[in-house]
Amino acid sequence: MKIAGILQKSSGVLAQRSVVILFAVLFVVFSIAVGGTFISPLNLQNVARQISFDLPVALGMTTVLIAGGLDLSVGSVMSMAAALSIGLQANGTWFAVLAALCLGLAVGAVNGLLITRGGIVPFIATLGTMTLVNGSMLTYTRQRPLAGKDDSFTYWGSGSIGPIPVPLVFALVFLVVLSVVYQYTKFGRDLYASGGNEEAAHLAGINVARSRFITYLISGLLAASSGVLLSSLLDSASPQIGTDTPLWALAASIIGGASFAGGRGTAVGALFGVLSLGILANGMDLIGVPTYYQIGIKALILILVVGLDAVLARNLRNGLRRAVP
Amino acid sequence: LKVQNRSEEKASTVSLNEEKYLGFRPQRVSVAGGVLSFAKNQTAPIALVILVVVGGIASPVFFTYQNFINILWIVSVLGIIALGQTLLLLTGNFDMSVAYNVGLAGIITVMAQLHGAGLWLSITLGLGAGAVVGLVNGCIVAITGANPFLITLGTSTLIYSINLTITQAKTWYVAIPKFAFLGQGKIFGSVQISVIFFLALAFVLEFLLQRTPYGRNLYILGLNQRTAWLSGIRTNRVKLATYILCGLTAAFAGLIMTSRTGSTVGNAGAGKDFESLIASVLGGTSLFGGRGGTLKTVVGVLVLGVLNNLLILLNTPYEAQQVAKGAVFILVVWLDGFAQQKQK
Repeated sequence: MKIAGILQKSSGVLAQRSVVILFAVLFVVFSIAVGGTFISPLNLQNVARQISFDLPVALGMTTVLIAGGLDLSVGSVMSMAAALSIGLQANGTWFAVLAALCLGLAVGAVNGLLITRGGIVPFIATLGTMTLVNGSMLTYTRQRPLAGKDDSFTYWGSGSIGPIPVPLVFALVFLVVLSVVYQYTKFGRDLYASGGNEEAAHLAGINVARSRFITYLISGLLAASSGVLLSSLLDSASPQIGTDTPLWALAASIIGGASFAGGRGTAVGALFGVLSLGILANGMDLIGVPTYYQIGIKALILILVVGLDAVLARNLRNGLRRAVP
Repeated sequence: LKVQNRSEEKASTVSLNEEKYLGFRPQRVSVAGGVLSFAKNQTAPIALVILVVVGGIASPVFFTYQNFINILWIVSVLGIIALGQTLLLLTGNFDMSVAYNVGLAGIITVMAQLHGAGLWLSITLGLGAGAVVGLVNGCIVAITGANPFLITLGTSTLIYSINLTITQAKTWYVAIPKFAFLGQGKIFGSVQISVIFFLALAFVLEFLLQRTPYGRNLYILGLNQRTAWLSGIRTNRVKLATYILCGLTAAFAGLIMTSRTGSTVGNAGAGKDFESLIASVLGGTSLFGGRGGTLKTVVGVLVLGVLNNLLILLNTPYEAQQVAKGAVFILVVWLDGFAQQKQK
């Protein structure tokens, strides 16, 4: 067991402590490379606002990953939620927001049903709903950007309380709630158990299908709220919203300690994953890296992170097999 | 050696008699039940027949020789991609990078022509680019053992960034007029040469699958990787070869597509990854590996092609076509999931 423990520790390269170190290193590197503009309060506030639209999605993705699933439909849910919250404003802003959030829940429910009842592999099922929702969004918006009608709505995305952006408050509330749920509730423990070992969780009396179903609801709801906040910032909805979100949120979650193998990951880890990628994007923008290269760099990061995650998970499994006779 | 032979034999019989096992019912089944179980195994051909009948009723121009030739011509690019994808699916792998790989091959070919390369050199370079992409995909998947879907989604984005960088988001035109033969040339009067390529490739690959050790290994690998490894199959080598093959077919489809339009752009091929998956699974190749074949994929591709043709003839807007595609995909994978559960 001792060997297993050591292996578990050493294989935590992607675990929480390392993501904090990664964040610190990136921060120092960009502070030196870019100079004053990077650490200016205005830029930091910018980064904070930017990540507050990414954090909810990454939190949802982490939740799904912990229970051993995957959700690729988050990007299309974001854009559809944004389109609804702007497009339905004629019927009242609250109704529009409510409709957007309900859409997130509905897509989450469909994902959950397809995966837990239909026996479809998560990435295939969510790839299908992604296309479906994306097609609906294109039909609804007719591929044109929509403009907002309600000026008070923009406060939720672009307003500030002192130096703190309003959307960041929402994101942090999600973060705290999910942290507490993961660590101090039975549902949270069920999630880790379902993702860590489905068979064992089932034998221990945990309703694996039910916990997984709920993770997709959470992911859909968080993606939709991200879309609503983003549309509030832009005071418009464009079909381009969320095109690279799934990959990006996945990379952030895995950098933050979640694993594709399931059973691992924390909300705080997701925060630092999002922060690392956020300052990376911001730093590259400030240095003036061309957009095409930035796409490539993000792809490389995803490949690296997913590959490393798989190798570490395999090492851990082999180590356990050797350690436990 | 005996053990190895036996397990190979077993696996290959399983794959060959798959259809019988899937719809197996005791003999006291009623006529309706028999029809139903037959229908379940022949989803794609039945869907094709229904679509053709509906098409004939709905549109007066549907039942014309020219329309059928058009359908075949349009689907042949997607079809060639889907054939490569099918081989990978049989091993339980995926390639989501085929979409931008298609674009990359066209871009490399056009760029080589613009820089003075001859016809054959430019074609070789284009195909070579596809093979290299396949090699990279295969190496990463084999070495890390990571989920092939996510890895190839990553390489797909990487290739996209390369395509955008090379083209600088502009349209580039084919420099050698002879190159148009590949996509637009006709034989037998009215049949495009790319249609012949598509159908011929399907038959060649089906022969490869059913009559060669390599083909049999693909099925065994898809059914159970560990069994395949224990029975002496070099699993990583088979995987690598299949990824390269898939990269090559995607590149070939890219050449045909570029030759057809005479030009290429940075986002050429977008969406083909998803469509090739739909076509393969629609035809009856399982996402779980070990079940399917390239001739089935031809039927799946035709179903998609006829459906598309119908939607266009009926003046359905582009956006609604996307919704239809997503709905068809979910329906098909749901059926595939049920088939897999029942088998277990």
